[in-house]
Amino acid sequence: MQQDAADLETQVLSWIRGNRPANFHETVLRLHMFQFRHSAPYRAFCRQSGVGERAESWRQIPCLPQDAFKHADLRSFPVEQTMKTFRTSGTTGEGFGQHHFRTLEIYEAAAREGWRRADMPAGPFLVIAPHPGEAPHSSLSHMLGALAPRKDFIAHGGVIDIERLRSIKEPVCLLGTALGFLNLFEVMDKQGLSLTLPAGSSAMETGGYKGSGRNISRTDLYAMFGERLGIGPDDIYNEYGMTELSSQFYARGPQGLHRGPFWARAVVTDPVTLEEVAEGETGILLIYDAANVGSVVGIRTQDLAVKRGDAFALLGRDPAALPRGCSRAADEWMSR
Amino acid sequence: MNTKDRAKAVARAAEPFRALLGPSTTDDLLSWMRAELGDADALDRWVDRGGAKTKALAPDTILHVVSGNTPHGALQSLAGGLLLGSRNLVKLPRGGIIEVDAFVSNLPASLRTTVETAEELPAGWLAQADAVVIYGSDETVDHFRSIASPSQTFVGHGHKASVGIIWEDPAFASCDGAARDVSLYDQHGCLSPQVFYVREVQPGFAREYAGHLAAAMERFNRTHPRGPLRVEEKAAIANLRAAYRFRASGDLRVALWEGGPNMDWTVVYEEDAWFASSPLNRVIFVKPLPVDLPSSIGPALAHIGAVGLFPCTEELAGRFAALRPSRFCPVGRMQEPPWTWHNGGIPRLASLVKWVDFEP
Repeated sequence: MQQDAADLETQVLSWIRGNRPANFHETVLRLHMFQFRHSAPYRAFCRQSGVGERAESWRQIPCLPQDAFKHADLRSFPVEQTMKTFRTSGTTGEGFGQHHFRTLEIYEAAAREGWRRADMPAGPFLVIAPHPGEAPHSSLSHMLGALAPRKDFIAHGGVIDIERLRSIKEPVCLLGTALGFLNLFEVMDKQGLSLTLPAGSSAMETGGYKGSGRNISRTDLYAMFGERLGIGPDDIYNEYGMTELSSQFYARGPQGLHRGPFWARAVVTDPVTLEEVAEGETGILLIYDAANVGSVVGIRTQDLAVKRGDAFALLGRDPAALPRGCSRAADEWMSR
Repeated sequence: MNTKDRAKAVARAAEPFRALLGPSTTDDLLSWMRAELGDADALDRWVDRGGAKTKALAPDTILHVVSGNTPHGALQSLAGGLLLGSRNLVKLPRGGIIEVDAFVSNLPASLRTTVETAEELPAGWLAQADAVVIYGSDETVDHFRSIASPSQTFVGHGHKASVGIIWEDPAFASCDGAARDVSLYDQHGCLSPQVFYVREVQPGFAREYAGHLAAAMERFNRTHPRGPLRVEEKAAIANLRAAYRFRASGDLRVALWEGGPNMDWTVVYEEDAWFASSPLNRVIFVKPLPVDLPSSIGPALAHIGAVGLFPCTEELAGRFAALRPSRFCPVGRMQEPPWTWHNGGIPRLASLVKWVDFEP
């Protein structure tokens, strides 16, 4: 089994790094077969969905509800081989979800290669979020840590190093959660501070506002970036990701569409039939993420989106979704 | 027009809505006035108050901002304003409420002209109002509270969630009533139960109750089909079903009943007593009644609207007083509050009037 896992990890890692060609369809089917064999909850779910070990196409593979990570151990490997566990930010009485990893090599490669292939800013970065050392269970912190060195994390113990921002002389890319940036803007407002970062600076924000009592449109948030930091709306990117995934989707500007890397596909589906909707229609977002080697390859998210070609326009959580999200956790941490 | 004449006219206009509003005769409406103001004539003449006399003064103009969740709240609010003899400005939700239009058209001209309705709030309506009554989300209530003037009487009805408690029902006699409470208005009202807590008179009883409730939901649905769903409502139910289907496959503490090909109704049994917020549209949770119900209801405790009881006894209402609802009522009648109901714990007529005293 260990050899199976190692082979699969090597294959996916080489594919993501561009060192070895592979086919999405075949890789995902192989991942499904591996996970079916080694994860009892996943196997039970597939059988309940009428799908066996061998699926005919990647779209036939059932997508596990995101919520399942709260209630089941979805490891496709022995517990003792667990190298890392990321947790969702449980902000209700329901507890938190857990995503276990046998290796972080694929996760980190997916973060870096996904960023590069999406043509995102090359850096240098300043990160307005906890460093992985301060938030060891945060997948977002780990992802940011894969992109930026520790010295570029400028929020320590909930306090943002404003002086680092003021002293910037070269273009920079700011990384953080939407709520983290709102906190930064509030601090700047209290200090009567507004900056114009060097031309060519940019920002990447992620996470929603659910459970925070705040709700700001992407357009309004991006206008605040312009007013406080001098960053134009087209130089701001939104990241769509979640603890239950290993890959990220990026959109540029307030109206931007989200696109993912070649090893992850998003399908906007009818909530009842789970058939892909027609162009321009709204549905539930399913994500097939081939970087999810040790957990579950197909995830049924709680987000609604509009199908736009091979991309999607994110509408966000449906009304039943619980208030949680990376952004919320970081916000709480920074407000302490 | 005096109070009695207005009560007669409102009763006539309410007659077609008996199923919605319950008994609404002239006497019922005058009894409501009497219950809240002490005397049904208090608006028309000096009435005794100890050694002195007093008279109620209705607001000249009331602004009602009503939600589209159910027609019931809108009709009761407007009827109250009409009984008081006030001018009534009614801000309806987008798309209007056809029951309100029909009710107004049933009024005699002299009262009909005291009602104006609009789907967008006209400029100036707020400033014209002596009293403001808001039904809606907490955000809507907070918004109007922040822009209302201190001199305006303000009554806000924000978010509410209701629950049912099945204390003893060995023959499952409450299930049809419970299904009705859940299904009416597709669960959009503040009186719609989201969770039924069932006392485990024997192990597994709550789960068994959930199965009987599912059968009752199906029976009700056959005669009263659910209304159409928007895509986000469908998504909410589909996601909830998918999540609980997964859990139910490997966890005996969870069970799921799914009604109909169109997601007509859903019953979830969950042993965990923590309050679960339903995505509405006939999705109901059944949970064993915990020893400490207020703790299990958690943050929702501040928003409890009604508590349906079976059987409905004063002793049980006393036992669950810590839930602090504005109404204990029988399961099966949760959607039929009487005119005298203190919505949100507030007397709906008395909160709007002022008084002038006469000391001879």
